[in-house]
Amino acid sequence: MANFKISYREDTALFQNLWVKSWLGIFIAAMIVLPFLLSRYQLSILNGMGIAVIGALGLNLLIGYTGQISLGHGAFVAIGAYTTGLLAGTLGVPFIVALPVSGTTAALLSLIVGVPSLRLKGLYLALGTLAFGFIIEYVLFHWDLTRGDTGMAVPKIGAGGFFIETELQFFYLIMFFAALATLVAKNLARTKIGRSFVAIRDRDIAAEAMGISLSKYKIMAFAVSAFYAGVAGCLLAYYQKWIVPGNFDISLSIAYIAMIVLGGMGTILGSILGAILITGIPYGIVYLTDALRGTYPNLSGLIVDLKLGIFGLVIVLTLLFEPQGLVGIYRRIKVYWKTWPFKY
Amino acid sequence: MEKIIEILFNGLSMGAIYALMALGFVLIFKSTGVINFAQGELAMVGAFICYSFATMMNVPYIYAFFIALIGGIILGAVVYQVFFRTMVGEPLFSTIMVTVGLASILTCLAGLIWGHDVYSLNSPFTDKVIHLDKITFAQGSISTIIVSVVLFVIVILFFNRSLLGISMRGSAEDPDTAGLMGINVKKIHMVAWALGGLVAAVAGMFLAEQSFVRLSMSHVGIKAMAAAILGGMESISGAILGGIIIGVVEGLAANYLSGMELGNFHMGDIKDVAAFVIMIIVLMIRPYGIFGKEKVERV
Repeated sequence: MANFKISYREDTALFQNLWVKSWLGIFIAAMIVLPFLLSRYQLSILNGMGIAVIGALGLNLLIGYTGQISLGHGAFVAIGAYTTGLLAGTLGVPFIVALPVSGTTAALLSLIVGVPSLRLKGLYLALGTLAFGFIIEYVLFHWDLTRGDTGMAVPKIGAGGFFIETELQFFYLIMFFAALATLVAKNLARTKIGRSFVAIRDRDIAAEAMGISLSKYKIMAFAVSAFYAGVAGCLLAYYQKWIVPGNFDISLSIAYIAMIVLGGMGTILGSILGAILITGIPYGIVYLTDALRGTYPNLSGLIVDLKLGIFGLVIVLTLLFEPQGLVGIYRRIKVYWKTWPFKY
Repeated sequence: MEKIIEILFNGLSMGAIYALMALGFVLIFKSTGVINFAQGELAMVGAFICYSFATMMNVPYIYAFFIALIGGIILGAVVYQVFFRTMVGEPLFSTIMVTVGLASILTCLAGLIWGHDVYSLNSPFTDKVIHLDKITFAQGSISTIIVSVVLFVIVILFFNRSLLGISMRGSAEDPDTAGLMGINVKKIHMVAWALGGLVAAVAGMFLAEQSFVRLSMSHVGIKAMAAAILGGMESISGAILGGIIIGVVEGLAANYLSGMELGNFHMGDIKDVAAFVIMIIVLMIRPYGIFGKEKVERV
């Protein structure tokens, strides 16, 4: 199918042709209808995926687009969640205020690693963010305000007599924000900002020579990414109703990295695919091993151990055999069918 | 006075362990350009191998020690062969992430094999102390320091005197030219990983002797990274100095800051993050470390 563009308007359209638009329509319709057909358990899986999509999009803007490695993304999710916990739980601030404030707090605190990132590159940045993650975890454990190990309760979202509490209501809320986050990320990637990010990733010195302010855009990348993480953390806090520091340790950061590596770095679609798959893998294992539980009763305990190992394996195998991730596979298949039966 | 000497001495023996771990980083980073986030996990596996033989199978400790050393060498070489042989020339992010993934895999496997319990390793030095004019020295710490010093001397001599060491330095400087000079760069890289595995196993066993054998001991790897950064990623003497500084600072922090409260903030186990705080400060002020050279990038 040829895809000619005869005006600038068409060229800059977010959804390029009827094919994409119709699929999008079907997808949205499915998202509206689907939850009524699913059980609560299945909905809870989808909700987890939706929150992960937001975080993964943010991390992909930072790592995939700007090329700044962060191994402490879980810390920003934690900051968002705990800001929500403090605002909503202690001060009784409503959701509509807590959400942007959580994102902004995470973005502001990201400057602690964002500003050093102006001097640090690659390896050193990875180490700095890793250390930052550990320090945040330590602070959460030892600060009276965050109540350490006992954790914090987060109230329900709602005003008047209406509360968001069922899985179904959360589904629409989370999917709304996931869709919004996707749209913002997709648009951001197309603007001057997004192209500056990519230029910095590809060759920062050349980008600087072309007039892209490294400090401005690097800090911006950190702030945007942390804002996404903060929003994800806020939703997670409301959704879980209870937060403890252990939720946000290094394994969360690794899970997020596994998402974008598996999905495909530097692509929006990749972040979504990766978030869905990585969040789904543990449930998939539970599903597969359910049948075996009768014969091996201690199997379910092993799954918790296996989770991190499987994420690690996913990261390693993807990087070794398909560095472009699922999106790379998707692109290859697309090109193959476009030119079939010819090679090119 | 006695107290401060004891603190310094224990810090020094902890520092020797960090220095060994940092040495592993530097060895691998110098010759292959890969920063190994799984170094702590290699140490943990080494300690578990030693524990399996020494405590579970009642093999004499000295034999178990050497079995674990060989295990470390084999593990390092296998890791290189499986994961990094094909990774030459890949972007930095990929190599870093492969080691991070490797760390999770090793932790997961160790958890499956040895479980999540806390074990103690019985070595000939366990719970034995030497009294020297009111000051108590643990024999384990003394042996740690002595063996570390011997290892450092061997490694420095190895790099400066032996043909293999010099060819390792050569291939670190410029793999292509080194290859043209007849150095088998792939073999050199494998040797570097094997050596990294070896020093990690040594560090793991000493650490286990001073505390326990458990999965979470792999955290020491990340702290040791702080030591390597502090000393300068490419300098062996920097790794040693960095390790000692981190160990002593940790000891001092544990003794003088732990009980403190700032407003409603409990310092608690500040020891565990002292290394990270130092790392962030070093990264902000002098990212290339004490002995490192500032890198000038060619466009």
